[in-house]
Amino acid sequence: MLVDFRPTGKLRGSKPVDVTAALGPVVDALAEDSVDLSRVRVVCDWVQYRSNFRDVVDIRPILAAHGHESVLAPVPLAAVVTEDELEVAIDVRRSGDVPLKQLTAGLIRARFGDANPSRIHLEPWLPASASVIWEFNALYWKALDLWEQATGRRYEQALPGGQSDARNRDAVREMISSLFVLWDSLAARNALPEELYVVELGVGNGGQAKTWLDEFIELDREHGKDYYRRLHYLMCDYSPHVLQLARTAVANHDQHVSSFVLDATQPRTALGFLRYKIFLVYISNVYDNLPTDEVAQIGGRTYIVQTRAYLTREAAAEIGQLVAAPPDQVPELIRKLLRLGPALLAEAAPAHFPSIETAVDFWRRSWEALRLEEQYLPLAGLDLYQIAPTVSGEMLRPLLESGAAIRMHVNNGAVASFVDTVPLLHPYGRLVCHDLFVTDVHGYRTGFRGPGKYDGSIVNWVNGPLLAHIGRRKGFDVDYQRFARTGTNIVTMTAQVRD
Amino acid sequence: MLPVLRTTVVGSYSVPEWLERLKTDYYRNRISRSHLREIHDMAIKAALKDQETAGIDVVSDGELRRDNDIDYFLARIPGVQIPVTVKSFYYDYYDTLVVDPLPTDPPPLGLADDYRFTRQYTDRPVKFSFTGPFSLSHRIRNKAYAKSADLVRALAQVLNAEARALAEAGAKLLQIDEPYLAGYPEDVAVAVEAINIVTRGVDVRWGLHVCYGNRYARPSWEGHYDFLFPAVLDANVDQLILEFGRKGYEDLHMIQRLGWDRALGLGVVDVKTEQIETAEVIAQRIRKALETFPADKLIINPDCGLRHLPADVARAKLAAMVQGTIAVRRSLPAALSQEPPSQEPTIEQGA
Repeated sequence: MLVDFRPTGKLRGSKPVDVTAALGPVVDALAEDSVDLSRVRVVCDWVQYRSNFRDVVDIRPILAAHGHESVLAPVPLAAVVTEDELEVAIDVRRSGDVPLKQLTAGLIRARFGDANPSRIHLEPWLPASASVIWEFNALYWKALDLWEQATGRRYEQALPGGQSDARNRDAVREMISSLFVLWDSLAARNALPEELYVVELGVGNGGQAKTWLDEFIELDREHGKDYYRRLHYLMCDYSPHVLQLARTAVANHDQHVSSFVLDATQPRTALGFLRYKIFLVYISNVYDNLPTDEVAQIGGRTYIVQTRAYLTREAAAEIGQLVAAPPDQVPELIRKLLRLGPALLAEAAPAHFPSIETAVDFWRRSWEALRLEEQYLPLAGLDLYQIAPTVSGEMLRPLLESGAAIRMHVNNGAVASFVDTVPLLHPYGRLVCHDLFVTDVHGYRTGFRGPGKYDGSIVNWVNGPLLAHIGRRKGFDVDYQRFARTGTNIVTMTAQVRD
Repeated sequence: MLPVLRTTVVGSYSVPEWLERLKTDYYRNRISRSHLREIHDMAIKAALKDQETAGIDVVSDGELRRDNDIDYFLARIPGVQIPVTVKSFYYDYYDTLVVDPLPTDPPPLGLADDYRFTRQYTDRPVKFSFTGPFSLSHRIRNKAYAKSADLVRALAQVLNAEARALAEAGAKLLQIDEPYLAGYPEDVAVAVEAINIVTRGVDVRWGLHVCYGNRYARPSWEGHYDFLFPAVLDANVDQLILEFGRKGYEDLHMIQRLGWDRALGLGVVDVKTEQIETAEVIAQRIRKALETFPADKLIINPDCGLRHLPADVARAKLAAMVQGTIAVRRSLPAALSQEPPSQEPTIEQGA
C-alpha cells in the first residue's frame, strides 16, 4: 500500500495535522475488507475550498482497461508498471469531524460504482472537462444577474480578497509604460501601425478596463505622443450581462472601447481579423474558470481522471422537497435548468417552480450539493488524447516522461484559449495573464489545486509548466512572476515571441 | 524543358512532430549522429516524393537536415563558437559568438554533400537554398569585428566558398534566404554587398528570398518591400522570391515601377495558416500578378518554407498551387504557354 500525503506543509506549525487520526481509521477499514492491500493507494489532500465537490473520504477505482484494446494492438507497458486497483482519497482538513472508519468501510463495500444506493448520479463517467459541472459554470455567467440578486452580493466579492487583482495601479502603469517604450521604438522605425489594439478577455465588471484606460490617459498625457487617439480597447466576455456592466464602467472612454461576446476558448472566432495586430492581450482570472481534465501518472502508467457528478440521496430529497419532486426526479429538473436557465424554467415548469426565485433557489441548492466521484482510466497513448482542437496529448509528454507519480490539470479550456490567442499578437505583442498558476509540477505533489467552488462558478489552478511548454513550441517565451500584491496566490504569466 | 510559370518551393518542407522529437533526442544526446542522418535521408526522400506527386517543377530537399535556418550553418563555420551545444528543443537557436576574425579560406561546410544526396533521388531540377550572411550575422555575438558589416562580409566569404563547392557538385540553382533583412531595412545596402560576395564567380542561377519572417509560422516584422529598392537592383541575382500570399499583392506595382526586370518568385500560398487555398484562389493570385509582370518573368511558389505546416496540409497546398498554375497556363495565349520561359541571365551574363 502506498500512502501519498500531499499537504506536507500542514505537518508542521502550531496546529499540525494528526496523520494518525487521518490515516488510522482508513487503514483499519481497509484491513477489515478483502481488498488486496498491496494494490491500494491512500491519498491525503487538504482541500482548502470550503465549498467543493468532494466528500471527506471517497474511493476511486483504478481501471485496468483503457477501452482501445478492441481496435488497437496492445500498448506496451513498462516493466515497472504496477497495477493498482483503487485509491482512497481523504480530505484531511475535514477528516477529524466525521466517523472516518465507518464512512470508508461503507464506500469500500459499495466500491463497484453503481451499487452505491446513497448517490443519485447526474451523468455517466466522463473526462472532467465534459462534466455537467461546466454547464453549471456556464449558467452562472449567463444568469449572473439572477444569482447576484439572490445572494445580494456581486460576484467579485466572492473572489479571494474581495476584488480582482487586475486593478492594481502599479502593475497597470508598468504595463502601459512598457507599451510606450515599444511603440516609441516602432515609431522611430516607421513601423508603428496607425491603430493600436489592446484586448481584454474576461472583463469582469469593467473595473480593470476602467483602471487601465484611466491610467493610460494620464501616462499618455505625460508621455506626449497622443497614443490614446490611436488606441482601440476591445473588451471580450462570455456573459452579455457582464459585458454590459463593463461598458457602463468605461462609458467615458466609449470612443476607444468596443465589446465582443465571445467564448474565451475561441477568441479568433470574433477577433480573427486582428491576427498579428494586437499589442497586448490582457486576461485576469479566466483560465482558472475554463473546463479542464486531469491526468495522473500512477505506478508508471498514465491515466485520465474520469468524473461522475452526483447528489447524495439525502441532498436530493431536500432539494426535491423545495420543488415538489421526488429525489429521483431532481436530476431531470437539473438538466432542464441547465438547458433553459432559471427564468425560462419557471415558465416551462410552473408546477415545480412557481417563481423565478424558486428556480434560482433550486439552482443554488443543487450547485451547493453537487459532488464528483472519480475513477482513473488508462490512456492508451498520449497521441490518442486531444488536449484542445489543435493540441495533441503529446504535449504532456515532457511533464510525464520521468514516470514519477503525479496528478495534474490539463486545463483544456485554458490551453485552447492560449493557442487561439497568441496568433493574434503583434510580433512584439504580449499576453499578460493574472491567474492561479501552478508554476512547477512539484506544486501538484504538495497541494490541492481544485476544483473548488467560487460562488456559482468553478475554480481550478492552471498548469503553468504545460502552458509554458506549449508556448515554447509555438515560439513564445512564457514567464511566471508572483503578483505584486502581497498575500495573494495570483501569479502573472507573460507570453511573448521568442528570438 | 520547364513550362512557363514553373512551380517551385522556397525551401523547407513540413517537419512532422515525430521528426521534431527525434531531432530533439539528438540534441539531448539520446540518439547518435549516424541514426539521425539515416532518419533525415528517409525524410528527404519522402519530401521529394511529396513534391513530385504534387507536380512541383523545381524541388528541394525540404531543408530537413537543418535544425533551424541559422544553426545548421553557424555550427559548421570554423571560428563560430557555441558554448552550449545541447538543446532542450531542436529548433531553438544556439547562443553563438565570434571572438576572432573568421578564417579567410575555410574548409567546405558540407552543403555540397546535401545537394548530391538530393540530386541522387530526383530527376527534377533541384533548388538548393541557404541562409544569407546578413541574417546569419544577426544571430552571432560579434566580439571580433569593429563593425558588424565586416562580420557580414566575412560570412559572405565563407558562403562564397561553399557556393563554389555546390556549383562544382552540379548545383544549377542556388537561393540565398535573408529572413532578417525586413527587420533591418536600413542595412539593405550591406546585405546586397554581401550577397554579391556570395555569388561572385559562381556560375549558377541565383535566387534571393526575402520575407517577413516565418519563425514558428509567425511574421517577425511587417512592412512593404520598398525598402529593398534601389539597392536590390545591384544584387547579382536572377530571381527575387517574395511573400505575397499572406500580405496581398499591392507591392507588385511598386516592385515593377522601381525597376525589377528579372524573374520574380511570386508567393501565392500563405504558409502561416493551415487553411488550404483552392486552385481557383491560386489562379486568381497569379492572374493578378500577370497584370504587372509577364508570364515568362513569374515563378510560382509559396510565400516561404512549409516547415510549420502539417504534412497533409503542405501536400494539399502544393497540389492546389500546381493545379491553379496549370489552370492559368491553359488560359495563356498558345504561343506563350507552349514556349519555355526566356533564358534567365546568369551572373556571368551580367544580371
